[in-house]
Amino acid sequence: MASIIIEAAGLTKSYGEICALKPLDLSVPEGEWLSVMGHSGSGKSTLLNLVGGLDRPTAGTLKVGGEDLLGRDEDGLARFRREFVGIIFQQHHLVPYLTALENVMLAQYFHSLPDEAEARTALERVGLGRRLKNRPGELSGGEQQRVCIARAIINSPRLLLGDEPTGNLDGSSTTMVLELLRELRSQERFTVVMVTHNQEVADWGDRTIHMDDGLLVREERKVF
Amino acid sequence: MVFLKQIPQFLVWMLLLLLLLRGFPGRRRAVSFWSTGGFALGVAGYLLLARLLPVRVPLGIIRSVMGGSFLLLWGVAVASLYRSTVRDFPLLRLDRFTPLCAMVGSGAAGLMAGGICANQLPAPDGSLLRFLPFLLLPLAGALLAVIARSVEGVVIPSYAATPSSLLAAVVALLLLSSSAAITLDLFSPLSMKVMKGTHDFVHQFMESILIPDHLFIRPEIWGYIGFLFGKEVGFWGGMIIWFTPVLLIALAIWLEPLPSVAQFRQGARRRLLLAAAIREKKHRMVIPALALVAFAAAAYRSSFPSVEYWDPKPLAVTATPAGEILIPRKGEVELEDGRMHKYLYKQGDKEVRFFILMNPSGKLTVDLDACAICKPDGYGQTEGMLLCYYCKTLIPLDTVGRPGGCNPVPVPFRELEDGVHLDASSLVNSWNQTVQSTTRSKEGGK
Amino acid sequence: MTRRRWLVHLIFRALLYRRGRTVLLLVVLAMASSLATALGMVSFSMGKRVADEVRKYGANLVVLPESARLDVGSGGLSFGAITEPAYLRQDEVESALVKSGIAAERSCHLRGALRFRNADILVEGVDFGEIRRLLPWWQLRGGWPAAGEAVVGSDLAARFHLKEGETVALDGPRGEVKLRLSGIVTSGGEEDGLLFLRLPELQSALELKGQLSTVRLLIPAEGGSLRTRAALLQQFLPKAKVTEVRQIARTSEGLLAKVKLLMLLVTVVVLVSAGSSVTGTMSTTVLERSREIGLMKAMGGTRWELLRIFAAEAFLLGVAGGGAGFLLGCGIAQFITVSVFSASAQITPWFAALSLGISVLLALLGSLGPMISVFRLDPVRSLRGE
Repeated sequence: MASIIIEAAGLTKSYGEICALKPLDLSVPEGEWLSVMGHSGSGKSTLLNLVGGLDRPTAGTLKVGGEDLLGRDEDGLARFRREFVGIIFQQHHLVPYLTALENVMLAQYFHSLPDEAEARTALERVGLGRRLKNRPGELSGGEQQRVCIARAIINSPRLLLGDEPTGNLDGSSTTMVLELLRELRSQERFTVVMVTHNQEVADWGDRTIHMDDGLLVREERKVF
Repeated sequence: MVFLKQIPQFLVWMLLLLLLLRGFPGRRRAVSFWSTGGFALGVAGYLLLARLLPVRVPLGIIRSVMGGSFLLLWGVAVASLYRSTVRDFPLLRLDRFTPLCAMVGSGAAGLMAGGICANQLPAPDGSLLRFLPFLLLPLAGALLAVIARSVEGVVIPSYAATPSSLLAAVVALLLLSSSAAITLDLFSPLSMKVMKGTHDFVHQFMESILIPDHLFIRPEIWGYIGFLFGKEVGFWGGMIIWFTPVLLIALAIWLEPLPSVAQFRQGARRRLLLAAAIREKKHRMVIPALALVAFAAAAYRSSFPSVEYWDPKPLAVTATPAGEILIPRKGEVELEDGRMHKYLYKQGDKEVRFFILMNPSGKLTVDLDACAICKPDGYGQTEGMLLCYYCKTLIPLDTVGRPGGCNPVPVPFRELEDGVHLDASSLVNSWNQTVQSTTRSKEGGK
Repeated sequence: MTRRRWLVHLIFRALLYRRGRTVLLLVVLAMASSLATALGMVSFSMGKRVADEVRKYGANLVVLPESARLDVGSGGLSFGAITEPAYLRQDEVESALVKSGIAAERSCHLRGALRFRNADILVEGVDFGEIRRLLPWWQLRGGWPAAGEAVVGSDLAARFHLKEGETVALDGPRGEVKLRLSGIVTSGGEEDGLLFLRLPELQSALELKGQLSTVRLLIPAEGGSLRTRAALLQQFLPKAKVTEVRQIARTSEGLLAKVKLLMLLVTVVVLVSAGSSVTGTMSTTVLERSREIGLMKAMGGTRWELLRIFAAEAFLLGVAGGGAGFLLGCGIAQFITVSVFSASAQITPWFAALSLGISVLLALLGSLGPMISVFRLDPVRSLRGE
């Protein structure tokens, strides 16, 4: 049995009156691919933000990779993010004035040191060896999302979070991105938590949890 | 009141303690014990020596120890630079001796700090009132040590001290502390030595290649040679000698190779280690930087000393038609009060400054307010000394009246019942010769 | 690549991406710092010039004949004293000095006009030994004159194309005087338009034996105030007027102080408005870049690192603006001093520090508010596009 990477108990998040996440218990073993499904507003993105250290829970306990995220201040969370987590967003958030290579190097900069050779290799691994010097505006949606993947894995995170990473992509690009993620995961052995509302995409995972109105309603495990 | 003046010294002492505690993290107890003990011993030792022997002796001891530690710093700086480039240098593997180092180092630092602080107090004369501060001083030192120990963990973040940078900072702080007293100061004598050394070298060189003063050398060349005689050479030469060891130590830290990370497969891991090593290196530069600041402060304090001089305004005197100047023994000024009295004599557009002083052996002496070497900036009087304003040389009062070096140029005079009689024309001649020769070499043949 | 170099690279990329806004900020910063620098330079050079002018008098007391008037200005020639001649008697002045017991360096001057090539030129008889002591700023090309020789002011020399070594013939009441020019003098003042010869020679040429038009005195500072000694000397010279030179300087210094105050006010207004426009521009930029900032925070940038990026950006802008501002400021200062004060500006490298300092400070202060919002920006909200 692999060790537990995410361990949440009674995790709650409310924005003022609105309760985005009702008390939730979750544990994810290291190396698992977990899909989180639900309609918009079901609290799945909130869960992802909490697990990724982007936001702090209102109540409950949350341990990621053995680190207690509740005891950390904002800068402590930032340090946690850069060493533990890689994030891929739905809108491929890239810095518009930096080239693909530089976007990857930016993540290296915040993590430790920029290293051009390593960033180049990472982009070659996601099949963008020939688009290193292009800016995001010159890349297609699928290519942009691949840059995001290269950026997310450059610092060898133990946890890769995806917030609808294929939401803006057409079918073939979606398959390509998910294939790529699967391949990288088999090499790097990181844990994936991916939020989606698409059953097909969710089916790529080992386990799927369904959320509704801030509650975990159903859990299904893929049978091999 | 006496202690108010000591506040800067106390601050330095506190910093010193913080540094020592930081430098020997495992032995905080030994460090605080030995340094406080050393401080008390330093105060007591100074007091004892100053009471039993002339005050010159303890001052001389402090000065030579400071000079010696500065030389040691030079040695360590060169060695650490060598080590950082060649890696293995057996002399600096002091790890085994850390306990001994902590003990001896903090003890010695405390001893010196105590001596220097004691020197700042008014001299003891046997009365209880004057003696009291010397009793309170070790207590204050110990109190500050306690404060430093409790503050140490909070004030300085994790800035590590390498042995060489620790030594640099300790020496720098002691020098800063001693620069408060003009008699203990090292930077000005250093720059003066450099100036005189250059001066002598150029002289010897000129003589050895048999170039007479004016025959072949054109005025422009004198301009360049004159530069070598100036205060600037001494100052800048002194600066170089003063700051180089710290800079070398900083350079040694900078040149230390980063750890090898080739064995790690993950690039992120490698980068993380490298970044941490670079950050650590930067942190290790903090203490040399502090030492540099302390050195700079010491040099500044030495160049602009806060000592008050007795520097009277020259009184104008006139000569009788026969060309004799009479300065009455008593009257407007008391000649025999052991203080320097300056006079100004004008003949046409020539002005001559001279002073009369009764030296400690009770003899009157008349000297020009200028020496045979420096630009005639004149002298000021401090406790037991005259100070040349130009080169900051200290001249013991006993030796005033003797010619040579940076001593003021003596003037022949006759001491009669009514006062001191001088010959105006010989005074003017003497001034002209001195000033001409010094300004020529200083300002390049003009 | 080190972190610092990457930071600079990042900032350059960001600045180039928003080229228009960068140029706007640079222009604002350069304008503000150049204006401040130029005003500083102008007031500095003017202060120096007034000080120079005052120093030109070297002497601190001037003895003039009662009816003549002392003309102090920026080099305008005054013929007033010549059309209405009045003179001091040399022996009277000497004896007054001895009687009053005032020990002073003095220089005696006699001014008059002689005809040269069908034009009247101003000539002055002086003792060159005294001149060398009292007016040490004279720059002489050539040698000091011996008997039968003269020196000519540089303006006058240029007007008549005179060269050193040449011999000039001047017509006076006593016929022609021939003088060899031993040198050309530049003092930056009125003297440049005069011809100087030895006092006795001019006195005989003008038939004014023992007469003087001005005596300048340099009284040592120690021993009593200047005014009391001027009054003392006045008692012994009833027919002359003893004036303190500092009086004249005081009025120009007062004027200068007012001009400086005005300049200071203008500078403050300019700096405040430039600062607020920097704030405005920077706020817009930060607003536009909020998504990017949120992204950087999500990637693991701490608040302080983000702050560092923006502060470094402001700093670089400030340095560039200050550099440009210094060059521009030199130009403006030169233009102002030449066109308004007809003098050349004193350009010293210290003003580069001033200019850089102002510009950097302005950039940093101006972006203080925007930087606080960078610091406090919430990554989750900004990424969601709120």
